[in-house]
Amino acid sequence: MKQVELINLSKSYEKQTEVLNEINLSIDEGEFFVLVGPSGSGKSTLLRMIAGLEDITSGVLKINEKVVNHLPPKDRDLSMVFQNYALYPHLSVEQNILFGLHAKKVAKKEQQKRLHETADMMGLGSLLKRKPKQLSGGQRQRVALARSVVSECPLCLMDEPLSNLDAKLRAHMRMEIRRLQKRLGLTMVYVTHDQVEAMTMGDRIMVLNEGKIQQVGDPITLYNEPANLFVASFIGSPKMNMGQAKIEDHHLVIENELKIPLDLTELLKITKNKGLTVGMRAEHIFRGEAEETTHLLEVVNVEQLGNETLLTFEIGKELWTAKWLGQWQVSVGNKVPVNISMKNMSFFDSETGELIKAASTPTNQEVVAI
Amino acid sequence: MQNKKRNKLLIEISGLILAILWLTPFYLMVVNAFKTKKGIFSDILGLPEEGTFENFKQAFIDLDFIRSFFYSLFISVGSLALIIIFSSMAGYALARNKSKLSSGIFMVFVAAMLIPFQSVMIPLISLFGQVEMLNPAGLIFMYLGFGSSLSIFLYHGAMASIPVSLDEAATIDGANKWQIFWRIVFPMLKPISVTVMILNVIWIWNDYLLPSLVLSQETATIPLKMFFFFGQYTKQWHLALAGLTIAIVPVIIVYFFAQKHIIKGVTDGAVK
Repeated sequence: MKQVELINLSKSYEKQTEVLNEINLSIDEGEFFVLVGPSGSGKSTLLRMIAGLEDITSGVLKINEKVVNHLPPKDRDLSMVFQNYALYPHLSVEQNILFGLHAKKVAKKEQQKRLHETADMMGLGSLLKRKPKQLSGGQRQRVALARSVVSECPLCLMDEPLSNLDAKLRAHMRMEIRRLQKRLGLTMVYVTHDQVEAMTMGDRIMVLNEGKIQQVGDPITLYNEPANLFVASFIGSPKMNMGQAKIEDHHLVIENELKIPLDLTELLKITKNKGLTVGMRAEHIFRGEAEETTHLLEVVNVEQLGNETLLTFEIGKELWTAKWLGQWQVSVGNKVPVNISMKNMSFFDSETGELIKAASTPTNQEVVAI
Repeated sequence: MQNKKRNKLLIEISGLILAILWLTPFYLMVVNAFKTKKGIFSDILGLPEEGTFENFKQAFIDLDFIRSFFYSLFISVGSLALIIIFSSMAGYALARNKSKLSSGIFMVFVAAMLIPFQSVMIPLISLFGQVEMLNPAGLIFMYLGFGSSLSIFLYHGAMASIPVSLDEAATIDGANKWQIFWRIVFPMLKPISVTVMILNVIWIWNDYLLPSLVLSQETATIPLKMFFFFGQYTKQWHLALAGLTIAIVPVIIVYFFAQKHIIKGVTDGAVK
């Protein structure tokens, strides 16, 4: 069943500034759906329109197949977790969690039952009498989640809930939220500007930019087959390597520097006359082994991350990054042999930014459980 | 280093002189309250030769202190309660609804602070007289009107420190506007409410002019009753000073319990 449906949804302020432009989307029951995009892309506005905190300029919003455009938030059967948690500072953790149930006049016995179940689930049993200022960031986050869970609403909206946490806690909470969502079977609409969160948490991702949908799909599809230059550069860390390319003498020439021989079959797939932008993922610039070396490139920067090494090369006016697993003893100034193959490149139209041809993806490897 | 020490000494001496200047009227009031009428005029600055409590007993009876204290308390507390309730709601509504209309209404309230009381007192008394509201209840409404401007200004500014996300979270939780204000926002306005209360109680409790125009002898407040001792031909200084001493006792008691908040309130009011 479609839990949430957006039909030609638009939002503008004072009939001039268009923030969202004809968004069409449906989110299934039990799905973890991520809205990702840079600041100002309209993702939080879209979430707030679903919540009922922002008016809808035009279009239709349906929740549980019911049109809810003019329904107040409390009648939309949803809960929300805010970026700054929005815990009531003068109320204890227990009172914060029960506030919504109290407002909706749920029976006291039922309130206590849900409180204790949720507190046990979220590990808040010993913190119920404390005030929010006596809690750590992670604890406050769990209280905000508990407030959402205790409402037993099937739809949960989250507006960048992890952005105020440190990197380690963020990684832990990502996993906790995902496990909670699966355990309770909630439909979650999650807003983030962090593409790592989007990739690791979402069943499906919608990439937004300047109020327009760039692409909707599962994380791997967005990674392997980005619909345009924006999605290609936004998804993936490190960023996809990009460069202007042209075809000269049966070679693909990137940034007037890197030459890759073309064969006829490849030539037919990409039009010679179009302005071309090529993209290549960092992990597809392999270390050249003997005859497989295609180029020798000078290293301009090295980053050792422990489990992998990032090497940066200057390709024309662009900086390209290679990601090699393991710890490689390479210094700045070294010329390293690399293997760059066209089959690992994605091609985009320089004018429209649209994808012409995606890189060849490896065959899916499946794990068989014994 | 020498300069610092010298400056510190100069400041301390200045502070001492100011303290003496400020405390001298209180000293004169308390010391002479224990003297007879003759004793006051024979030695106004010295300590009483034969201290007497008769002045206090007589002043207590003549002031009808319990009744006048009750009316002072009733009018002050009633006015404060209404000022806090309505000003906080108005400040919240004006701060949260960002529109030209709300900005305009806010400006009107702020501009009203510039209007001197003396320019409106006669038409005000005339109007209230016509609707038979020249009594303690009518006075409370007048204080609500005069006290609201500054109070709304303070509450409006305080709203900036309360994130809108709290209102939104409460809305999602199912609370209506009334519940959001009284259960979430108003408790968070406690510090500014204390400031508003202190700033208003100071002028309402000590006010003479407006009560003198509105109230009768039976419902007179303490400041009004004080002038009982100042007749056309004679001034009963010994009783007046004893009466004043009694009158400031409740103020001192309140101050001792709330001095931290009072100092903060006056400072905030000055900064704002």
